[in-house]
Amino acid sequence: MLGDAAKAQEVFDAIMHDAALRAAQGELPKDRLWLFTDARWRCLEVSEAGLQPEPVEMEEHEIAATAPSQIGQLDPYQLAIWISAAPDPQRSALALFYLDEFNQDELLALTELKTHELGKWIGNARQEFQAWLNATVPPEEPAEPL
Amino acid sequence: MKMPHLNKRQRLLIQCAPFNEKRIDDRAMRAAVFRVKKTEMFSHQRAFDRAVAGLVQAIPIPNQVTEWLSKGTFVAPRRRTWRQIVFNPVVLAIGIAVGVIAGISVFKLIERLNEFPGEPTAKRLLTLASSTKPLLLDPVKTDAGALGDFFFMKHRLPHYDVPPEFADFKTLGCRVFDDEDGQRIAQVWLVEKKIQLFLFPAERDLKTGASKHFNGWRYVDQDRWTGVVQEKNGVCFMAAVRGSEKDLAPYVGKAKE
Repeated sequence: MLGDAAKAQEVFDAIMHDAALRAAQGELPKDRLWLFTDARWRCLEVSEAGLQPEPVEMEEHEIAATAPSQIGQLDPYQLAIWISAAPDPQRSALALFYLDEFNQDELLALTELKTHELGKWIGNARQEFQAWLNATVPPEEPAEPL
Repeated sequence: MKMPHLNKRQRLLIQCAPFNEKRIDDRAMRAAVFRVKKTEMFSHQRAFDRAVAGLVQAIPIPNQVTEWLSKGTFVAPRRRTWRQIVFNPVVLAIGIAVGVIAGISVFKLIERLNEFPGEPTAKRLLTLASSTKPLLLDPVKTDAGALGDFFFMKHRLPHYDVPPEFADFKTLGCRVFDDEDGQRIAQVWLVEKKIQLFLFPAERDLKTGASKHFNGWRYVDQDRWTGVVQEKNGVCFMAAVRGSEKDLAPYVGKAKE
C-alpha cells in the first residue's frame, strides 16, 4: 500500500498500539476485518501526506503467456512500488486481492467497492501491469530455428 | 478452448475471481469460474495472478512485525449468522420435517379434541339422512317436543326426548328402526328447513356398560350434511341439515364444539 517499509512499520505500530488500548478498555470492534480496514485507512492517510504520483494514462497490454516468467524476474520491492503508485481504490483492491487472505465478500467490504468496480479495477491493473512488465522486463524472443 | 459466451456480470466476476480456489465461496463466482476454467485466457489470468501473489509473499516482513503476529492470526474466524444457520440445508431439512410432524400432530390433536362418544353413529346417520325420503316415515303432524311421550309409549324408548331448542318445530313424520348394530334409532322429519332429528343410544363403556357422557353441543359433518349432537340421560340427540354449521348455529344458540 505504501511502497515504503519504514512507513508501513509505523502504520503497523500505530495500529497495534491502538488495538492494545482498545483491548484494555474492552472496546475491540466487532468487525472481524477491522485490523485491515484500519490499516487501509491509515495507509491512505500516510500516503496522502507524502509525494503524490502524477496521474498518467497507463498503457494496457493483453495478459501474455510469458507473464509468470517476466514477473519472476522482478524484485518484490518493484511490485510493492508499482502497487503503491496506483490510485486508490485500485491500490487497495490490488493490495488486498494479492494478499490471498479474503474471499469476494470480504474484499468488497474492505475496499468498499461493488463487484463491477472491483472487477474493473483489478482487470485494468492486470493489463497495465503487463504493459509495464513488457517495458521493464521484455519477454524473451523465441529462438529462431537455424 | 474457445471463450464461452458470458453475461456482463459473469465477465466482471471473472475479472476479480480469486486465484486461490479456497477463496471462492460464492455460488455465482464458482459458476462463472467453472465456465471459463479451461480457456486459455483464464489460465493466463490465473498464472499471472499466482505469479504476482508469489511475489507479494516474497516481500520481506520486518522482524518486529513477525514477532508480534504469526501468519494466519490477522483475520478472526467468521461468525455464523442466524441466517446462515437457518438456511443451512441440514437445518432447513430438519426444520421442514419437524414442521410437518408438528402440523400433523396439531391436526390430529384438534381432531381428537372435537371427537365425542357416538360420533361414528352420528356420521352414519348423516349418510342415512342424505338418502332418506319423507315417504319412508310415518306421517305425524305435531310439535317435535311431543314425540318423546310417543316414543316411550309406543316403542318403549325412555329419554328419547327432543331438546327444547327443537321442541316447538312442526313435524312431517317420524319412524323408529334398528340400525346395523341393533341400536334403536328414532328419526323425525321437521317442516323447518327439512331438518331431520335423530335420537339414538349414547356410546357405552365396554367394561362398565355405563353411557359415555359429554357436555354441550358437538358438530359433526359428513358428505355436505352437518349435524349438531347433544347427549342427555344416555341418549344422543342429533339435528341434521344439508349445509354447514352456520345453518344449525342459530337453533342451538351459543353451541360450543
